[in-house]
Amino acid sequence: MTGLLAIGLLIAASLAIGVYGVRAARTAPDFLVASRRVGTGRNAMAIAGEYVSAASVLGLAGLLLKNGIGTLWIAIGFTAGYVAVVALVAGPMRRSGAYTVPDFAEYRLGSPAIRKLCGAIVLVIMWLYLVPQFKGAGVVLQLVSGTPYWVGVVLAGVVVSGSIAVGGMRSATYVQAFHYLVKLVFIAVPAVYLMVHVGPEVRADALTPVGVPESWSRPLLDIENSGHPLLATWSMLLATTLGAIGLPHVIMRFHTSPSARAARRVGVIVIALLGLFYLFPAVYGLLGRVLTPHLVHSNATDTVAVVLPGEAVPGALGSVLTALVAAGAFAAFLSTSSGLLLALAGGLSHDLFGGRGLVGRLSRLRLAVAAGALVSVGLSLPAAHLDINMLVGWAFAVAASTFCPLLVLGIWWPRLTVRGAASGLVVGALTATGAALASALTEGHSGLVTVLLAQPASWTVPLAFATMIAVSLRGEPPAGAERAVLRLHAP
Amino acid sequence: MSGGRRVKVTSPQTRIALARRSRGVRGSLPLPGPADPQRAARVFREQRRAALRTVALLGLVLFGTSGLLAAAPAPADLTVSGLPLSWLVLMSATYPVLLVIAALHVRTAERIDARVPDPPAGERG
Repeated sequence: MTGLLAIGLLIAASLAIGVYGVRAARTAPDFLVASRRVGTGRNAMAIAGEYVSAASVLGLAGLLLKNGIGTLWIAIGFTAGYVAVVALVAGPMRRSGAYTVPDFAEYRLGSPAIRKLCGAIVLVIMWLYLVPQFKGAGVVLQLVSGTPYWVGVVLAGVVVSGSIAVGGMRSATYVQAFHYLVKLVFIAVPAVYLMVHVGPEVRADALTPVGVPESWSRPLLDIENSGHPLLATWSMLLATTLGAIGLPHVIMRFHTSPSARAARRVGVIVIALLGLFYLFPAVYGLLGRVLTPHLVHSNATDTVAVVLPGEAVPGALGSVLTALVAAGAFAAFLSTSSGLLLALAGGLSHDLFGGRGLVGRLSRLRLAVAAGALVSVGLSLPAAHLDINMLVGWAFAVAASTFCPLLVLGIWWPRLTVRGAASGLVVGALTATGAALASALTEGHSGLVTVLLAQPASWTVPLAFATMIAVSLRGEPPAGAERAVLRLHAP
Repeated sequence: MSGGRRVKVTSPQTRIALARRSRGVRGSLPLPGPADPQRAARVFREQRRAALRTVALLGLVLFGTSGLLAAAPAPADLTVSGLPLSWLVLMSATYPVLLVIAALHVRTAERIDARVPDPPAGERG
């Protein structure tokens, strides 16, 4: 009951701040300027708030409990992604004036056809990313209220698409900054309390876990004991670091900064905020190994962060701590999936089916939000047994194999051609999604094949880059390409 | 109701694209090039060098650390106040390094942007 109350309060507070944010934005003559008045720190908090998803709040602790300490490389990769963003895309993307990847592709290559291709890839990435968020909502609601899994998923779809349709979330940088704080505090406070509460014996047990396979304490990531931990770790690092560059909802956020210079600086603060947050999920995984090892056998490790406080601390305080973590997880899910669903709806209504039509632009966007949410809910229902981080990892891998080469080469290499970009995008999208599908639907491969399918970035990213470069070198770059590139870097 | 007027918001790029579409004209984008092409080219080259350096450093840290841990696993008895050293690297020690790399890059990039153009003698009249 306490958990439901906490989640209810969180949603109410988010709506209140959202309404306040919308009003603040509307009094200004220009919507854009309003967003640019937001200070650097708050802006960075909003970006971190949108970026830290259910994968970080629930998934990391769960995967650490299940697969071992090497899981933490995922969090490092998420953070390192922002170093790549700062170094490669933040400034130039801000200068380009393009809000989305399809926008950028059309700016840089001057081809409306490539906009449609990018729009389709946006859908793939966003759905891969949304499904685990909805799964997280379903699991958390099931834990705190006992409703069946599907109720939580459907409710999540209704809440998120409803709040976007009302229009509260878009302008509200405030809401997402608030959500970052909620996530940080609601994960950190119970974590610190638990560490102190469990006593020295449990703490020592957590550091020297018994009854785990030897590979559990190895500081590398492995997939189903395939025997190639270094390859799996590197592939995952490649996917998360380069994937952050290509995530459509990340790119949109550069425009809440007033200049390229500010966009880069905001990126640095985001790294600090992410690093601070990622100190805490490990606590749940490590203590969970001692206190709730049964979750591993019941294949419910994604729930450890919510289950653990109740098991470690008896009585009312335990339920309060559980409620805190549940509300934190819900904040993660709310802010991330709103951003994702908006990017998805934008791709659907603007890039793919834009242009003519009887329906107005706004109602088309609302229709796209509803359609996008409906498909996500439909995909999430049978996904209950898939690890949150596995799915998010695939979203990163597809982004790293498609939009990352497009943006990096588009920004730094004037010779990129339309044909080169298009073939690289197709190759990257087909190989990365194909590998993910094969990994999810088939079983019984040898160790090496398992890794190459489950963590495809190690071969799909180089392949996509190579395709773009090789095909581009055989053709002529579009007219004015040199000028367009220089303009992205002109201070 | 507040008195503010509601404005239609479109990205500059979308605006151009839409305008072009309605005119039915295709071709190069009507965007102005950089004001000083020579300086822009020089800034571009320097920024590219800085970006490559940062990405290489990032790769070295990520792949180097994990590679080192794979090649020479830190002995289990090597601990810092009870915590195995290798765990500490994964749990917290890497984040400050990432932050420093990013901060250094931003400093370099801002210096390149701020540098006063100094055209070679004789090129300007």
